Amino acid sequence: MNYRIDRIILILFLMFTGAVAFVPYLVQSEYQLRVVTVVVLWVGIAGCWNMMSGYTGYIDFGPVVYFGIGSYVVAIAMTKYSVPFFPSLFLSGCISAFVAFLVGIPTLRLRGAYFAIATFAFAEAMKQITLEFDRTFNVSFFQGSDGITLPISNYENSFFFYCILPVTFLVVFTHYFIEHSKFGYALKAIKEAESAAEISGVNTTANKLVAYVMSAFFLGLFGAIEAYWITYITPSDVFNVQKTVQMVIMTLLGGMGTFLGPVVGATFLTLISETLGAQFVEYYLIMIGAIIIVAILIMPSGIIGGLKIRKKLRFI
Amino acid sequence: MTSLECKKVSMKFGALAAVQMVSFSLNSGEILGMIGPNGAGKTTLFNCVIGVYRPTSGKIYVNGIDVTGMKPHKVCRIGLAKTSQIMEPFTGMTVFENVLVGALHGGRMKMGPASYKTEQVIELVGLNEYAYKLSGSIPVPVRRRLELARAIATGANILLLDENMAGLNPHEIDEALEILKKIRDSGKSLIVVEHIMRVVMGISDRIIVLNYGSKIAEGLPEEVVNNEAVIKAYLGEKLSSLKVA
Repeated sequence: MNYRIDRIILILFLMFTGAVAFVPYLVQSEYQLRVVTVVVLWVGIAGCWNMMSGYTGYIDFGPVVYFGIGSYVVAIAMTKYSVPFFPSLFLSGCISAFVAFLVGIPTLRLRGAYFAIATFAFAEAMKQITLEFDRTFNVSFFQGSDGITLPISNYENSFFFYCILPVTFLVVFTHYFIEHSKFGYALKAIKEAESAAEISGVNTTANKLVAYVMSAFFLGLFGAIEAYWITYITPSDVFNVQKTVQMVIMTLLGGMGTFLGPVVGATFLTLISETLGAQFVEYYLIMIGAIIIVAILIMPSGIIGGLKIRKKLRFI
Repeated sequence: MTSLECKKVSMKFGALAAVQMVSFSLNSGEILGMIGPNGAGKTTLFNCVIGVYRPTSGKIYVNGIDVTGMKPHKVCRIGLAKTSQIMEPFTGMTVFENVLVGALHGGRMKMGPASYKTEQVIELVGLNEYAYKLSGSIPVPVRRRLELARAIATGANILLLDENMAGLNPHEIDEALEILKKIRDSGKSLIVVEHIMRVVMGISDRIIVLNYGSKIAEGLPEEVVNNEAVIKAYLGEKLSSLKVA
């Protein structure tokens, strides 16, 4: 096994994260900082999807629901109960994880397309609940389509950058842990052949559930941070299926079930849409679509997954 | 001592009774052959035993513990592992990692001891030269051995081998038989389902015969091949007239 190479990759990764931490001191404009922050945010969000779907092969089509729950928990905790930001943030992660636990028990029994449909339906259902709850019960809690305005902070962009970076770091580090652990082998075995995994002693239900809950916890954190950063949330925004699609595409582009897949995929896609978006305002989405199609055709297993070197260095 | 005991196990799919009131027991250190025509219920019986299906009625005991209706991973940890007729290697993993999954989860080991155990099992079944190849890229006979290795690595003391030698040539069968004997000598009990009579007759201590979901015969290999019912249902006239070596 390539444990030595693994260590080198880990050290390089730690050094890289350390270097990224200095970005706020190096950028020339707030715009650049925002772009970097968005890249780091998406690396994390795509990583959450990869953690569950990339390793187990269970295509989750509703991860955005935990992002949305995170956003709403932080918004409601801060505006209605005046809880400070950091406790609310933590609460967001916990509630997202708890909901994932409850939802995971029945849905993770489903396989293939049925799981995708169930998760998708749940995300849409949550969007409808937040939209219609207040009108139905005549209360003011989720504030429906009016959305919630969070307390406006005095923090600068760099504050949010430093909120997001550690969470993203944890997400990517969790991937590294998954690659090297008993837990990771269980997930990969489930992906390759679930019934064979089961008769080899893998507790498939428990392992899938842990992956699902972990991914939801981190998504909740990201949702909460973004809500506080943007300061205004609506159901159709935070539960937008577009976010799910973006997670999936980024991970597919980078390589599903790989350590660096979401990092590469999310960075590539965010930067390319920023550059193209600035130059070709009207056509850039068409161009991105074309790029994605070409990329998937040339590298069906993603940028990282398609690297030949990966056959030698199994853990990237 | 009895390692595995099935008491009046039946499995019905709607009106179809795939397995009917089958009872048998497996002693420790024994190789039990199981034969029967296609559709006799051998694989269904196995699936009941390992927990893929919950039998409609009857009880199954593994190492003295009632495992009826338990999930496969629990049954595996109690001491029963199976190789499938339809091979399912974890194709994206190397041979080593495939076996490692069995040791880690079936054997409930930590990474270090599990790697050590994996090396030993790979040595035992003679997979050394393939250890770091992706399991999707290895030939069929090697995949058969990989299935076997993964089952052994779980540490189970009972192995169910469902047509583990299908598709092997005579030379490969001889090698596989040697491996099975080594496994038996290491203290495990085996149930071997096979259509190749040379295999079943060569290594079984006892044989049971299934037909239409029921057990129609049980006994020493010589007794079974001369049993009228077995000849009629499965062997046919010619083979039974041959002397058993």
